Amino acid sequence: MSDHRYPHEPTGIETRKLGMWIFLSTEILFFGTLITTYLIFKGRTFDGIKLKEVYDIPFTSVSSFVLLMSSLTMVLAHNAIEKSDQERANIWLLATASLGTVFLAGQIYEFTEFYHKGFTLTVNIYGSTFYVLTGFHGAHVFIGVILLVILWGVGRRQEGLSLDGGMNLEFIALYWHFVDIVWVVLFTVVYLI
Amino acid sequence: MNESHKPHPTPKQYVQIAIILGILTAVEVTLYYTESIFGVFTNPLLIVLAVSKFVIVVGWFMHLRFENKLVNIFFMGGMILALVLFSIVMIERASANLF
Repeated sequence: MSDHRYPHEPTGIETRKLGMWIFLSTEILFFGTLITTYLIFKGRTFDGIKLKEVYDIPFTSVSSFVLLMSSLTMVLAHNAIEKSDQERANIWLLATASLGTVFLAGQIYEFTEFYHKGFTLTVNIYGSTFYVLTGFHGAHVFIGVILLVILWGVGRRQEGLSLDGGMNLEFIALYWHFVDIVWVVLFTVVYLI
Repeated sequence: MNESHKPHPTPKQYVQIAIILGILTAVEVTLYYTESIFGVFTNPLLIVLAVSKFVIVVGWFMHLRFENKLVNIFFMGGMILALVLFSIVMIERASANLF
């Protein structure tokens, strides 16, 4: 997202970046399939506890807000590195990883509460689709946090971060924002509707 | 890596975008609790709000609106394929052929 151009690339765009976008495109299909499977069973009657009875909407709303704000800190880290402000980029990266960790902690707490209320992975097929869908999203957030911490570690080295390096902040930012937009959809489809 | 000449938002504009996202989330939660008032319009409104948040994050935070056309084609391709899959399954579900 810097002003570099790639006239040597036949597409006019850096191949690694194009590859990242293609990867995200396949991830849309992955989550699209999981959401579709979840919606097949949503609203049907099964034995066992129903999700609507165990939801804690205020808590999940705060978690959603935290993840949304992590996208802000991520884009501010990217903006800082475009201006070669290593110190600020590192601070925003750490903030993003921290917000991601808070979201994950919230999800673990939520799953534990559901479990204690009897809504387990095997209670019915609706429960299974819920845990698979939100669990895979959580796994993506976890991978994102690991990548952010690695990037932060790279940023603390003498050479610092670069938009041209192998461990590229831009690609991880794209991944992180993608994880955020998936949650935007899940929050509405799973919790609110 | 930006192939367009449109300037990216400034940090101040990013914060303004985040505030808009926060407000949209608050409206979503309010709609959830006022379902009795909005009735059948609640779910369509929630979907419109989610789509708005999605477009804002993809367009401004992921910078898709400033990107090369090819990137847009790939991203939209994934979206369209997922929506086609979703539509086919939901049509089948509605016609009670599924499960």
